[in-house]
Amino acid sequence: MFALYRKLIAASIRSQMQYKINFVTSAATTGMIMVLDFIILSAILYRFHDVVGWNIYEVGMLYGISSASVSLYRLFAPEINDFEKYIVQGELDQLLIRPVSPLLLLLTRNLDLSRVGGVVQGMSVLVVSLSGLAAEGKSIMGLVLFSPIAILSGGVIYFSIGLATAGVAFWTHQMKDMLTFTIYAPANASNYPIGLYPNWLKWLFFSAIPIAYMNYLPMLTLLGKGGAWFYPILTPVAAAIAFYFARMLWNVGIRHYHSTGS
Amino acid sequence: MIEAKHIEKSFFLTKAKEGRFASLRTLFSREQREVKAVHDISFSIDRGEFVGYIGPNGAGKSTTIKMLAGILHPSQGEIRIGGYSPQRERIQVASQIGVVFGQRTQLWWDLPVRDSFEILQAMYKINDKAYRRSMEAYQELLDLHEFLDTPVRKLSLGQRMRADLAAALLHDPPVLFLDEPTIGLDVVAKTRIRAFLKEVNQTQKKTILLTTHDMDDIEQLCNRIIVINHGKKMMDTSLVDLRRQIGLPSLIRIEFRQPPEKLYDLEGIKRMELAENVLSIYFDKGKISSPRILAEVAGWGEPLDIQMKEPGIEEIIRLIYR
Repeated sequence: MFALYRKLIAASIRSQMQYKINFVTSAATTGMIMVLDFIILSAILYRFHDVVGWNIYEVGMLYGISSASVSLYRLFAPEINDFEKYIVQGELDQLLIRPVSPLLLLLTRNLDLSRVGGVVQGMSVLVVSLSGLAAEGKSIMGLVLFSPIAILSGGVIYFSIGLATAGVAFWTHQMKDMLTFTIYAPANASNYPIGLYPNWLKWLFFSAIPIAYMNYLPMLTLLGKGGAWFYPILTPVAAAIAFYFARMLWNVGIRHYHSTGS
Repeated sequence: MIEAKHIEKSFFLTKAKEGRFASLRTLFSREQREVKAVHDISFSIDRGEFVGYIGPNGAGKSTTIKMLAGILHPSQGEIRIGGYSPQRERIQVASQIGVVFGQRTQLWWDLPVRDSFEILQAMYKINDKAYRRSMEAYQELLDLHEFLDTPVRKLSLGQRMRADLAAALLHDPPVLFLDEPTIGLDVVAKTRIRAFLKEVNQTQKKTILLTTHDMDDIEQLCNRIIVINHGKKMMDTSLVDLRRQIGLPSLIRIEFRQPPEKLYDLEGIKRMELAENVLSIYFDKGKISSPRILAEVAGWGEPLDIQMKEPGIEEIIRLIYR
């Protein structure tokens, strides 16, 4: 299984390298957009000093985790994010005739290497925030240990949301609009403390689009903001549950796949 | 080998909404229309049969093949491929079948042909010995060595189809599904593909189900024909019987300088129509060859132009209805 994954990934990287210029420019653009994004956020934070009681380094923790997580998802699962074409153009056909899970084939069709920039950017923000918190005299041991778990769990949560959206697209035949609601807007929202938002939105982020478990909830505990001791444990648990339900929805969706007339 | 019992496929087409939040509104829309692409089709195909699955565009051919291959789930009915259900045991079925879609390659577009084969070897867990044996056999039959190191996107259509066929057969599946394998190919390439398919069917006893619009494919390859139209099975018969029932008439149209004065009847000619100075001859290819007819007809006047037409699938459907 792993050998096959490696072989397929190697093949798609070799394919991409056929178009080197395209690869370089898209990596550069993505990197620049993300840097710009962060500059805007810092500008806002410097102006206001804090957001509902979270100072710049604390928000930086949220931002870093969310940013690295979403980039991780976009790096490894560009074909999930771009799944609409498989349904609309019937490209899923060729994945379903192989004696291998179509999900494995999808994930190995493409790696969006230009997203590495986003992962690095997110982690840099984390490093800056951690040193800032250390300078304030806070203990950062727990945060350092927890960050990788948060990023991986966050990646899985975004992946699950993407997969569930793709599953729904078997009915709607349309995914791009939906991604705005399920991935892009929530990814932006999770750069800030969820406590900021109205109740219905909070509910949404704790249930159907469970991004709160990725950074906000565990940070309540780890930054000493009154979170219960077990909140950080909920992070990987929520990721696992989200993945479980997303797979289920995806599997039901595949049964409704219509393909196209030839 | 292939068993289909009362299979049906209906699609519920939701009327797509337009404008703002189109996808969300479509999702919750109740305006649906049921379309039956395949309606109560049953057949059973034995090992080694070469079956032509024919019908006009939109008759449900591809939908049937996609259900047999495990791509689509039938709304009703049961399918068995070598005893397995393509829906419940998709993985087992996948290793029993080879699939070629004429319109779309299964190969890795930007990589050399050889790389695709190596990936498929890993995917189907083909051991090195069997892989080498398959490669040698197909290299010879399909002349793959000419383009084994060329990226797929640079292949001609004929080469691509040869590579696709070899790829579909690499894991030595007992069953082959071919959806329009000769579409768009020139005569030479078609002949070559047909010779290969015939060889594979006869020497390796592969069970082959083929859809095509080309009546020559049917005549030269298939020993059995299933005709569908509007998602329903209209006919399931041997090629010999089909010919006896409707005759598969070919058509030669000859334009003369002067209308011929007298038409002579020949063995194998079914019907002749003369309109001004254009003579249409409907004949049975199995009984008389076109060069024989031309040689004969040249004596009737001075031909200016000659057109040959094979019976199309629409023509056959029309004849069956008649």
